[in-house]
Amino acid sequence: MTNLEKYNQVMCDSLQVSAEQLPGLKYQDVELWDSVGHMTLVANLEDAFDILMETDDIIDFSSYEKGKEILAKYDIDFSK
Amino acid sequence: MEIDRQKIRMYSLLGSHRTFGQVALELPKINEKVVVMVADQMSPAGLEYFRDQQPDKFINIGIAEQNLIGVAAGLAKEGMTPFVVAQASFATGRCFDQIKINMAYMHLGVKVVGLSAGLSIGQYGATHMSVEDVALMRCLPDIVILSPADCTETAKALMATAEDPRPTYIRLSGWMNCPIVYKKDYDYQIGKAITFKEGNDIAIIATGPMVYNSIKAAEMLEEEGLSVKVVDMHTIKPLDTMAIDDCLSAKLVVTAEEHSVIGGLGSAVAEYLAPKAIKPPHLIIGTNDRYVNAGEYSYLQEQFGLTPIQLKNQILTNLK
Repeated sequence: MTNLEKYNQVMCDSLQVSAEQLPGLKYQDVELWDSVGHMTLVANLEDAFDILMETDDIIDFSSYEKGKEILAKYDIDFSK
Repeated sequence: MEIDRQKIRMYSLLGSHRTFGQVALELPKINEKVVVMVADQMSPAGLEYFRDQQPDKFINIGIAEQNLIGVAAGLAKEGMTPFVVAQASFATGRCFDQIKINMAYMHLGVKVVGLSAGLSIGQYGATHMSVEDVALMRCLPDIVILSPADCTETAKALMATAEDPRPTYIRLSGWMNCPIVYKKDYDYQIGKAITFKEGNDIAIIATGPMVYNSIKAAEMLEEEGLSVKVVDMHTIKPLDTMAIDDCLSAKLVVTAEEHSVIGGLGSAVAEYLAPKAIKPPHLIIGTNDRYVNAGEYSYLQEQFGLTPIQLKNQILTNLK
């Protein structure tokens, strides 16, 4: 599984959305992406990629695309 | 309720307040008599889900903490188990008389959940810093006082409290993305301290957020060749005196708390040690007897000498 596939999988499972809904998806666009759901998503991403995110990054993680930018800071290469 | 690795991290990310909101959903499964009452603190405590899922068990009294305790006591008298939620500073200081008469004296099992205890919302100034709450609660007979070390222990304490009939004060400290002390599920019992790590030279008895800072301080002290024991005294009352006895062979006993040095864990341990003829010196670390200006949480911890490096330095100074 590539990093992008892994990222998409965690997003879909955590937020109960389909892969087609991911592009452009923003915080609070779907019911499960609320404040608690956000922390569940972060915990699941940290577990999947074996990282620990900084508080500022957790707060900045406001969309599907922004999440990829932030994860790249933790050396997650989405071209692999 | 199973607490796995991801749940531990999620609680840590949420912080102790909103961990309460998540654990509250489980409380009626443990005790069907549980009701949750707030003094307009629904959102800070993450209780929107509870309100939506358990509308008949959720009551918002409004910003009227003394009335909150009074109504909760009435419900407890009728057999309910109320968890009442308010800022720690107001829940204890403003409501002292209600807690004394309606909870302690009447033996009513109301559970007071104090948000933002210690220095965590110190940006609002001394009015919101709650560093006297343990001192106030500790002088009331029969009140159980819990001070969880991290968000997982917050969950454990809340679940244990739901099954316990005694009047209880649960002191929630820290902020979002709280440091994790317990990385996996463990056995928690009210009144039974947890020895986080063993050591011979120094024994640190810590509570609340100071458990994590003490563990970090212990790591630094061990780099200097010292053997350090760290005890998580999550229950300040009733005090686990056997755990204190197990510290008496150390060269120095240290208590560490995000609370005034007067009346808190340090005082409780000192009162227990006072009659003993032979005992090691006792260093009490906490907020010293003064007010400071408003500031961010980490800044305030530093102002009071509560960061890991400051703990280490104070311990070394007192060990000489």
